[in-house]
Amino acid sequence: MPEFQTRYFEQITYLPESVIEFPLGLPGFENERRFLLVEQELNKPIVFLQSLSRPELCFITVPVQGILPGYELTLSAEELHTLDLAEDRQPVVGEDVLHLAVVSLAEERPPTANLLAPVVINWRKRLAIQSVQTDSSYSHQHPLLTRDLELQCS
Amino acid sequence: MLVIRRRVGQSVFIGEDVEIEILDAGPGKVKLGITAPREILVLRNEIRFTREENLVAAQGVTPEAVQNLVARIRSGASPVRGAGPNGNKLADGEILPESGP
Repeated sequence: MPEFQTRYFEQITYLPESVIEFPLGLPGFENERRFLLVEQELNKPIVFLQSLSRPELCFITVPVQGILPGYELTLSAEELHTLDLAEDRQPVVGEDVLHLAVVSLAEERPPTANLLAPVVINWRKRLAIQSVQTDSSYSHQHPLLTRDLELQCS
Repeated sequence: MLVIRRRVGQSVFIGEDVEIEILDAGPGKVKLGITAPREILVLRNEIRFTREENLVAAQGVTPEAVQNLVARIRSGASPVRGAGPNGNKLADGEILPESGP
């Protein structure tokens, strides 16, 4: 079984078939194609997206449904093709695909999730894209804290 | 901000090398044709936002930051719930390998 040294999880052992491929990479990381999804009991509901080529590259994601139930995902024919999904209908979240929002944790601002561009995974085929929802009004910096709590914290 | 009115078929130049032509315009939508040198990065704003956001997201992953976030989510400070029965369902042990030795 392949093993991989990561910065945050130390040594990871994984099944070759559990590798998720991003054929197009992610914006800003176009050359990163192979990732693992890592979920730890301790850190649920966070799902880590760990690069298999760069030990230090690991994204924090959370299920979009957990942040904004009723989120409407729209994939273009091209995106459906990349994910090897039927091009004549939108996939059912939870059944055909998983969708995860990438979380930004920066010291100088409260945590936010990118709902403008969720990571969409066809888990049956282990193919994924980061799908920019061009015609939506979802924010790339959706706050993960309520406004009241932000006030209390500041 | 400079505001210029243009008709379909007209264009504007930015500097010497970048030309933006209005190819088509309809209600609420315009189609642009951009001619620029290869070294100039042309990005739709939402892709640029995502690119910048990904670069920030890739920086902040420290064990402390993760612990803080989890604590916030679990304390209810963040309106984040785990995926419900209709949410993202991860098949047990299928996608997610347990980490660590």
